[in-house]
Amino acid sequence: MLNKNHPLQSKSEVILRNIVVTAMIIYFIVFLIIPIGTAFVGSFHEWNPLSGTFRLLGLDNYRKIFTDNLFWKSLSNTIVFSFVVIIFRVGFGLAIALAIYSKMIKHKSFFRMLYYMPVVTPMVAVAYVWKFMYHPQIGTMNQIFGLNVNWLMNSKMALPAIMLMTIWKDFGYAVVMFMAGLYSLPKDAMEAADVDGASPWQKFRYITIPLLKPMILFVVITSIIAYIQAYVQVLILTEGGPGTSTFLSSYIIFDEAFVKYNFGFASAMSFIMFVVTAVLTWLSFRVTRSKG
Amino acid sequence: MRSKMKYFLTVAMIFVTLSTGCGRTKESNSVKVDVPTKPFGSTIVYDPAKEINDGKKITIELWEWGSDETFQKLIDGYTSIHPNVTIKLVSNPWDDYWTKLPLALQDKNGPVIFNIHNSYHENIINYCAPYEISVEDLEKDFNDIKPHVKDGKVYYIDFGIMTGSVYYNKAMWKAAGLADNDIPKTWDEFRNVAKKLTIKDGKHIVQAGINFNTEFYQTYLLGLNYQLGQNLFSENGKTATINTPAMKKVMNMLLDIYNVDGSGSKDFGTSGSESFGQGQSAMTLMWGHYKETLQNDYPDIDYGVFEIPSFDEKPYAYNRYNGESTFGINKNSSKEAQAVAQDVIKYFLANDEILKEFNLARCTFPTKKSLTDDSDILAHPAMSVLAEHIDRYIWPGPMPAVVEESLKIAGQDIMYNGSDIETALQKAENSINEELKSSDFTAVENLYKYAKQKK
Repeated sequence: MLNKNHPLQSKSEVILRNIVVTAMIIYFIVFLIIPIGTAFVGSFHEWNPLSGTFRLLGLDNYRKIFTDNLFWKSLSNTIVFSFVVIIFRVGFGLAIALAIYSKMIKHKSFFRMLYYMPVVTPMVAVAYVWKFMYHPQIGTMNQIFGLNVNWLMNSKMALPAIMLMTIWKDFGYAVVMFMAGLYSLPKDAMEAADVDGASPWQKFRYITIPLLKPMILFVVITSIIAYIQAYVQVLILTEGGPGTSTFLSSYIIFDEAFVKYNFGFASAMSFIMFVVTAVLTWLSFRVTRSKG
Repeated sequence: MRSKMKYFLTVAMIFVTLSTGCGRTKESNSVKVDVPTKPFGSTIVYDPAKEINDGKKITIELWEWGSDETFQKLIDGYTSIHPNVTIKLVSNPWDDYWTKLPLALQDKNGPVIFNIHNSYHENIINYCAPYEISVEDLEKDFNDIKPHVKDGKVYYIDFGIMTGSVYYNKAMWKAAGLADNDIPKTWDEFRNVAKKLTIKDGKHIVQAGINFNTEFYQTYLLGLNYQLGQNLFSENGKTATINTPAMKKVMNMLLDIYNVDGSGSKDFGTSGSESFGQGQSAMTLMWGHYKETLQNDYPDIDYGVFEIPSFDEKPYAYNRYNGESTFGINKNSSKEAQAVAQDVIKYFLANDEILKEFNLARCTFPTKKSLTDDSDILAHPAMSVLAEHIDRYIWPGPMPAVVEESLKIAGQDIMYNGSDIETALQKAENSINEELKSSDFTAVENLYKYAKQKK
């Protein structure tokens, strides 16, 4: 593996490189390729690795998905959840990034850190705190707004309540990403716009947004991928309830695999979600490119 | 050559580190115990003089979740008789336990003895070795053995049973002008008492008389049907019977307690157990383990316990129960290790003191006949109320999780989402039966002592 003609390559560098590369390859094989392959094969079986059940079903699991109302309900909940959360994440993120970026704001690092703090706080901890805030009698939500709402056990309010918590937790990520984008904007473009007498809105509409487009696309796509996998907040706040009002796609997969031990059915659902995620990501690229 | 060696050693070290198990091995805090020298037990007799593993040293692992102290006492007692045996206690968090254990049992290096909860029966049973104690001997010493017999063998039994009882706040009881003789026996009496215990400020509830939010599907929907002579499963034990007049009557009663009597509300307190502990609700129906929750989380609540009321004075059964199981033996472990495990099981089942410890720690009523009249057991509030009718509780069998899950969804759909009872129960029944098609589960309701009296 040692390239003796390379002047900068020392023996220790080569050893380190080989260790890292080997570890990464093994990591991907063990934790990615093998599990995905096993799950794909498992999706055609009645499969419970805990009891040792592994019986060929052919396409039955996939057929069952298409007649399972709860799966489609969960998928529609996931689309609504992802759409709303992404809109607010990007909207709030951009608005606050612009506010911090503006010359009027001092202590920029402090605000950037402040908004980023919920992002680095574990979802489990955040969800438990919000669960307490949503308590119908002693929760701060009702006390601050003078309401009498059972947020998490009301079929109309439970999903919005989970969305609100997720937006609060995650929009700081968009703030930091957009700030990075704003700082990398070419200054001469802004100066030229100033010389041409462009208003702040025109500068935002015709310079900032087009130049930030790659970053917006990045935030949207990573958000789609993240929210299609969202289940921790559901598990802690509502356990999918009341009834099945807040079942999301990843939660139903978790429920099938780790509550009912139908790993085959859960794997089939996972592959459907894999296709849905790929299609949505592709659509995001298409929409952004066509608008560009 | 040396660099290659270094490289492989480093990679190997990384893998050893990554693949190290995450279970917490309990350091033994052994205390001095009295070592028995004479045989003890009733029918199942343990002889401490009998050498184990020919006196040669042997080490085995025992896996469990929680209750480290009682397990350590069991280990200390056993190893004091057999110092050549070392038992490593490995404690796991409940959630991890049920994925780690079945995978660990698939090879010979898994734990030799492991704690069982019957709700995970299907994932565990194929890895268990049968007990070497005969069914006849077990039946002589313990109640409710029959439901655990499979092809004439037993893989685990219940050392104690747990069920639901009503917990009431003594201060609220007294403040409402209620006395000890007001303890309700029937649901009608219960509803009257609940009304008296309710305090309102205009339309708003300040103190609920009864709170069954969150846990009601476990404590009411899955159990009160038996009071009305209705089993949860059909005669063959293979299909669920959920959409029944009995279940509808139970659900209607729950709705009436909130909506007609106004003794509580679906929106008052997120769960009955929590609301009772926080001093917002005067009564809640909970299973025996709730005593531990009150002791640990709400030590200031002064509470009493009474038996679950019934629709009439002589119900078919008062409620369902679930058993706390004895331990499983890993059939894939070595013959020597299995022999030690069989001996530990025998020691456990013959030993009234340790069985009492386990029952008191888990708030379960002992199945061992010699312990049913024990003064320490009867001094326990959650157990004493069960003593009189202990044979009038029924076990449906190790139900798959889908039964509780479906009843939870049905109950919430009715209570919170405005579904009609018939539709929600039918949906639950269909969902359970769909899952049971691929399950080995067979209900054991027909083995209930009074099964022939079913209406």
